[in-house]
Amino acid sequence: MIAFSVLEFKLRKTFARHKATIRAYLFIAPLVISFVIFRLYPSLQTLSYSFFNVELLKQKITWVGLKNFLALWEDEIFLISFKNTLKYCLYMVLISTIFGLVLATLLKAQSKLNSFFKAVYFSPYITSTVASAMVWWWLYNPQFGLFNAIMKLFHIPSQPWLNSTKQALMAIIIFSIWKIVGYNIIVFVAGLQAIPKVYYEAALIDGAGPITSFFRITLPLLMPTTAFILIYNTILAFQVFDQVFVLTGGGPAHASTVMVLEIYQQAFLKYRFGYASAMSAILFSCILLVTILQYILSERKEVVY
Amino acid sequence: MWKFKIGFACFLVLMLVVAASAAGTIVLWYPSGEITSLALLFHEEGLFSDFEMENDCKVELVAQDYDFMQQKIFTALASGKNVPDILFIDQSWVPGFLKEEALEQVPEADAKDWLEAVDPVTREASDYGEGVMYAYPQYGADIYGLTWNKDYFAEAGLDPEIPPKDWEEFRDYGIKTSKKDEAGNITRVGYAIRHLGQPHGVVHKFLWALWSAGADLVTDPKALRGGEAAFNNEGGRSAAKLVWDMIYTDKSTSLDFPDPRTCLLQGLASMQISETISIQTRQPVEAPNLKWGMSMPPPKEEGSESATNYNPWVYVVPKASQNKELAWKAIKWINSKEKDYQFCMKYRMTPRYKENWEREPLASDPYIVALRAMIPYARPYPNNLGLNGVMEALGSALQKIWHNESSIEDALNEAERLANKAIEEAAQ
Repeated sequence: MIAFSVLEFKLRKTFARHKATIRAYLFIAPLVISFVIFRLYPSLQTLSYSFFNVELLKQKITWVGLKNFLALWEDEIFLISFKNTLKYCLYMVLISTIFGLVLATLLKAQSKLNSFFKAVYFSPYITSTVASAMVWWWLYNPQFGLFNAIMKLFHIPSQPWLNSTKQALMAIIIFSIWKIVGYNIIVFVAGLQAIPKVYYEAALIDGAGPITSFFRITLPLLMPTTAFILIYNTILAFQVFDQVFVLTGGGPAHASTVMVLEIYQQAFLKYRFGYASAMSAILFSCILLVTILQYILSERKEVVY
Repeated sequence: MWKFKIGFACFLVLMLVVAASAAGTIVLWYPSGEITSLALLFHEEGLFSDFEMENDCKVELVAQDYDFMQQKIFTALASGKNVPDILFIDQSWVPGFLKEEALEQVPEADAKDWLEAVDPVTREASDYGEGVMYAYPQYGADIYGLTWNKDYFAEAGLDPEIPPKDWEEFRDYGIKTSKKDEAGNITRVGYAIRHLGQPHGVVHKFLWALWSAGADLVTDPKALRGGEAAFNNEGGRSAAKLVWDMIYTDKSTSLDFPDPRTCLLQGLASMQISETISIQTRQPVEAPNLKWGMSMPPPKEEGSESATNYNPWVYVVPKASQNKELAWKAIKWINSKEKDYQFCMKYRMTPRYKENWEREPLASDPYIVALRAMIPYARPYPNNLGLNGVMEALGSALQKIWHNESSIEDALNEAERLANKAIEEAAQ
């Protein structure tokens, strides 16, 4: 009886000490539970499916080991989609980051129109990708599109845009840059505002011009922000789907097909879930690798004055 | 206490209503939008009301977006939840579902009756070998034909009533009826080609050329399994080259006009080859002043046999349906001889029953008479379970050829390899 009281007392004491911690875990529990159910579990299931031949309609799952992964390296369309995704990522991330930084630097100057321009640049980011892609589909139309109409005014020959195997992917990249640059600007503006003015004043006293200040002060101190933008945009770029689906459907002749679109087609048009899961595993690995590399590289470049 | 009793009674009544409405309900999925004018039928008020009264049931008609319909069907079947009882789908989807063993076979006796009563082309489209049926084709033969703008023919000095008689003349007409601006850019194509979008769609609008050149998709079109690709030969290469020549040699067409039907209706093309039913339905609304002609696509040589595709929409019942018997009953009812005649009269479409072809006004309607002349040359798609893979392979090859990304030989060699792989995998 006494022993039980002592135990009870110890438990109550432990509970009182850890009350705050328990309360904290309870608060984050819904998020963690939903993350496990809707993100972690499906991801692990997808990874496991990649080692099986999954026939959902027949309710059959057959172990095939690495067969799906080996088949990927002989799949010409998958290799094209992989190459296109890398190309898309490279162009989209680099150009949108540079544009974002340049425009953010320009917007740093005090002006009454700053808010207006920020709203104008940011609004593509908040519009639905599908809706805006459908508008751009018309803009790119070779006969009736606005782009060719403008080019005609300047006596530039009409372009096939989405109808061309050589231009389709670039046309999608242009759309994506237009869509994301506003977000980059807002994040860069926040990063620029966090840089103390005293550094610029000191540089001015030392005779540094605007370009020197930009490369010696702004860019290094903006490295954490830049790293975030690069990583975020890279993840987005690897996962591109909506605009490709709407604008070209991956064509013509697979010229603009990307990995996520190929995963979708393998899973939901050809019902090859195991194979699509293997592709997903490869995509995940690529994103993880690039993210880690970017993070390591950006840490090395980070400076503190 | 009395409030509780009233509340409980209301609850009971509600449960009874729900139970009554749930009992004997069959769900039919069809594609929404303008993807097929044959789905207009499902917009009719009280379409199934007589059937519902006779069988004490409810038929729920659900429109699905065509672009995602296959995925939705697959998801419903795989999950076993909200499984539709009847699907109204493109016949080219059927092999894919058969490969997954997802479709119910039409009861033997019903299949026998149907095959005996319908015209030869409908019979061929319905028969999956030895009298086995999985689907009932809809009325309104979706036959691919050559349609042309009569005014443009006249403008070019051609007889507006007479189509080109062979491929050589087809190319010549293409050159004569195309138009260019001062800079040499094509503003009106002689013949509009489909080269974008899903590879299947590209193949649909190419089959007339493939078949009339003596090639085919697979070696045994009726067999569900086995066979091999039959397009990588002299016929297949000449068919692919025909369009290539029109783009790059004749310069009478271009890749900038990828929607053939819309181009014809908007006056951007003089000729196109695709579903005649689509032009017949859309022209009065979208191009009321268009004077158009319709005929079989031109054969390779004058006097040789022409061929074209017949791509019906079909009614099928998934194996996962909970109301199979009622579903087949509803399908039989909507596809009865009288209903066939009634709908064909109303929508001005071709019937399926032999007897209905002879009934007025169908027997003397000019559009239906014209299609009747074409129907003997129409072929349905092969039954092969690997058809999706075959069409994907060939469609991708055609896109590469016409975009000058690959030579005809290389593209068709690669397509043959992929198509045979798809056939082999489907046969396992």
